Amino acid sequence: MNKSLLILFTVIALVGGLNAEEWTQSKTWFGDPDLQGTWTNASLTNLERPDYYDTLIVSEEEARTTLRMSEEFSESVDNPYEEGESPQAGDNVGGYNVAWMDPGTDLFKLDGEYRSSILTYPEDGKLPRRYIRWGLEAYGMYRMFTVADHPEERSLGERCLVGFGSSGGPPMLNVLYNNNYQIVQSPGYVMILVEMNHDARIIRLESNHNPDNMKPWLGDSVGAWEGNTLVVRTKNHHPQQKFRAGIRHQILVMEGAEITERFTRTDENEILYQFEVDDDKAYKDTWRGEMPLRAADGEIYEYACHEGNYAMANILAGARAEERK
Amino acid sequence: MSLIYRRFFTILSLVGMLNIAASELPKGPNDKPNLNGVWQVLNTANYNLEAHSASAAMDLVVGPIVPVPHPSILALGAVGAVPAGLSVVEGGTIPYKKDALKKRNENKENWLQLDPEIKCYLPGVPRATYMPYPFQIFHSEKAIFFAYEYAGAVRNIYLEDPGEAPMDSWMGQSWGYWDNDTFVVEASGFNDQTWFDRSGNFHSDKLKVTERFTLLNKHTMGYEATIQDEEVFTKPWTIKMTLYKRIGQDAQLQQFKCVEFVEELLYGKWRAK
Amino acid sequence: MQSRVMPTLLGLVFLLTGGLVYSDTYQVKKTWFGDPDLQGTWTNSTLTTLERSASFKNLVVSEEQAETAALIASQGNDAYDNYLKQGETPKKGQDVGGYNTAWMDPGTKLLRVGNEYRSSIIISPKNGKLPWDAKKRREYFSKDLRRKFKRTDHPELRGVGERCVVGFGSSGGPPMMNVLYNNNYQIVQSPGYVMIMAEMIHDTRIIRLEGAHLPESMDPWMGDSTGRWEGDTLVVETTNFNWQHVHRAGLRHYFAISKDAKITEIFKRTSNTEILYRFRVDDPNLYKSAWVGEMPLRAQSDKIYEYACHEGNYAMKNILAGARAEEK
Repeated sequence: MNKSLLILFTVIALVGGLNAEEWTQSKTWFGDPDLQGTWTNASLTNLERPDYYDTLIVSEEEARTTLRMSEEFSESVDNPYEEGESPQAGDNVGGYNVAWMDPGTDLFKLDGEYRSSILTYPEDGKLPRRYIRWGLEAYGMYRMFTVADHPEERSLGERCLVGFGSSGGPPMLNVLYNNNYQIVQSPGYVMILVEMNHDARIIRLESNHNPDNMKPWLGDSVGAWEGNTLVVRTKNHHPQQKFRAGIRHQILVMEGAEITERFTRTDENEILYQFEVDDDKAYKDTWRGEMPLRAADGEIYEYACHEGNYAMANILAGARAEERK
Repeated sequence: MSLIYRRFFTILSLVGMLNIAASELPKGPNDKPNLNGVWQVLNTANYNLEAHSASAAMDLVVGPIVPVPHPSILALGAVGAVPAGLSVVEGGTIPYKKDALKKRNENKENWLQLDPEIKCYLPGVPRATYMPYPFQIFHSEKAIFFAYEYAGAVRNIYLEDPGEAPMDSWMGQSWGYWDNDTFVVEASGFNDQTWFDRSGNFHSDKLKVTERFTLLNKHTMGYEATIQDEEVFTKPWTIKMTLYKRIGQDAQLQQFKCVEFVEELLYGKWRAK
Repeated sequence: MQSRVMPTLLGLVFLLTGGLVYSDTYQVKKTWFGDPDLQGTWTNSTLTTLERSASFKNLVVSEEQAETAALIASQGNDAYDNYLKQGETPKKGQDVGGYNTAWMDPGTKLLRVGNEYRSSIIISPKNGKLPWDAKKRREYFSKDLRRKFKRTDHPELRGVGERCVVGFGSSGGPPMMNVLYNNNYQIVQSPGYVMIMAEMIHDTRIIRLEGAHLPESMDPWMGDSTGRWEGDTLVVETTNFNWQHVHRAGLRHYFAISKDAKITEIFKRTSNTEILYRFRVDDPNLYKSAWVGEMPLRAQSDKIYEYACHEGNYAMKNILAGARAEEK
């Protein structure tokens, strides 16, 4: 082939190759930056940094620690007994098999680097708790997982009111399974469907908050675009949604907390999700975190929690049966 | 003006008016009518799809003279009473098979125990459309999504046929496409747990629903749903009603997460003494 | 299967023209959308009863007889109001009485159609009496639950007026009849509708013009009315009567309307201050033949008061509680 043509083709290929890595923000049909799609935040990274990590960014080898622990946990959950062995009377009968879980397979990466915690501030990766407030709430928290006197005292996930932990947020945090979200946009709105409890967070753009006496589940959210970043401010959180607990995180969000989330699409397959929680009653400082929302493979299933909630009746009835003994 | 001249202008203005009417439909993505908004029906279909007089309660028991409200409803007085309404079913009545009609009537007699709405269960399709609560349509170029105020029910309408539903669900699996300016939704994969209204009208898990959403003007939408279920009905049947757009400063979908409101009802008997 | 009786063409002709004593020279005004204007506040209070009493031989009575009737009525009022002497009080167990005449408005004169004073509202049958079919009536009422109970046993056994469900007697109709008081109606028209509000229970009859009747399964109080214009005459047909509204007992009438009845009314404005109101009842469940009545609706200059019956219904509770107390 002609030498100059060859050079030309090489240049074109290189430039083409570079361009293939560049991604431009697409717009919705009405001109807002497009965040739409089905996304997941499943990962082994928890809100707070585990004690065996010292830094926010960890190496590949350090990341394997968490992976190994996760595998050991899965193994123990799936195989707690020898072949032929069964639980003794009074033993814990167990819960989900791993087949039902989807906690993520690795720590998540941002900018190609593994993160040991979702929290980026405080810098030690720990929640700056006000222990007095936590102390005041402790009794309720304790009763939630040990006592079955009334349905209202059980956790929100068990009551099938919202997804357990802070799955629906804000902030939207990863939990044991169903870490899936669907975003649909229309003029003046961004709607985030949280798989658990099929909750549609409807974020009103360029709008005022509703009056303070309205405290909906998942709070009252209004949003605005700053360039290509969606900034969402949420306040007036539901009074029963104070304590959000799962295996991966336990947080308090008081009614008056102000939470700011930022959604920035960085890629065809990724949204950078950042949040800041300003909750003076429960924390000594604000706390901030970030994680990627990655394009999910597949559609979201219906989460008809309440319709299949045999557990609540059985938990209460079992407790009543025990009392009669 | 001569007759011909006059006639010509009449025709011209009529055509003009029709054109204006058609072009008044707000445009959405892909130049299709814009379905976005908060919508609600203004009828009593959720009480009973068929024609019904007003009555004292959905659940009546034998009284000394006339049937009276069930003791559980009595304290509500007029708040527990049922308004009258015309049928929204084409042809007037639902074409039940004989045994199925018996079951429908049994359902109706046992409304308090059996209506899934009372337990805040997901409403299914098409009942979700005509619950006495609004819903919001999010219509983008990528997705069409319905968020219902009642029980926070949702429907994501796939824009490509996903094939058979992998499993049954309360709200079914829906996929939709445009037929000119009508958005057609085909829904299937339902379980048999939902009712069509408070009067015990029901279906099996063979249910298929075909809906047609047609924007009539800026503020109203025609809604039709054809029900097919060979186990329960002798033939398919269609309901027809109008959806009205909520406008004004209070046109905002609120939350009605009623699961918490039924905890006393469902679990009260197991509370600690 | 409910039988609906269609009036014969002859019957309709009779209804529209039979007994018409007005000249047709009055030009009725039109509403803003072009329908003949019946709007305003109207009253049908009159001394004339539905059926002809024995004291009258003919439908049309002389002016002298009419004056006598008015005088007797007025004297009767005085006597009614003053049946106790000064200082006297009812004896224990005696009827404590009810309304003074101050509360009543039952009409002071016999009604006039054209220049004829009338002794009955009924013009057909000619004897001015209801054409009851005694056998059918017995059959229909044998199913009446009131036969099993005392009338103070349950609220549903009391009259519809005491229950505050619709006006007593047949005040709201159809057919709209004169009763002890509140004989007032307001008519408002809009494209496709004629609305008649009866003062008692503020009941609105919304007559749909050129509309279809409701399905059989629906039986609203006051039935279901559809109407049409025939020239300047409004013709209204009502069916789907509520089975609980069968007895219509008022001061000046008693009749019954079964749930399968068909009632045809005509409203024709005859002057600025009068509407001729005529009605025909077709009800083979109870009567040997159809019966027709007519009366004028006279213009009222007053406004209609609110009739919040149910909200002030101490009587129902006291009647039942009193009966329960007596039983002890």
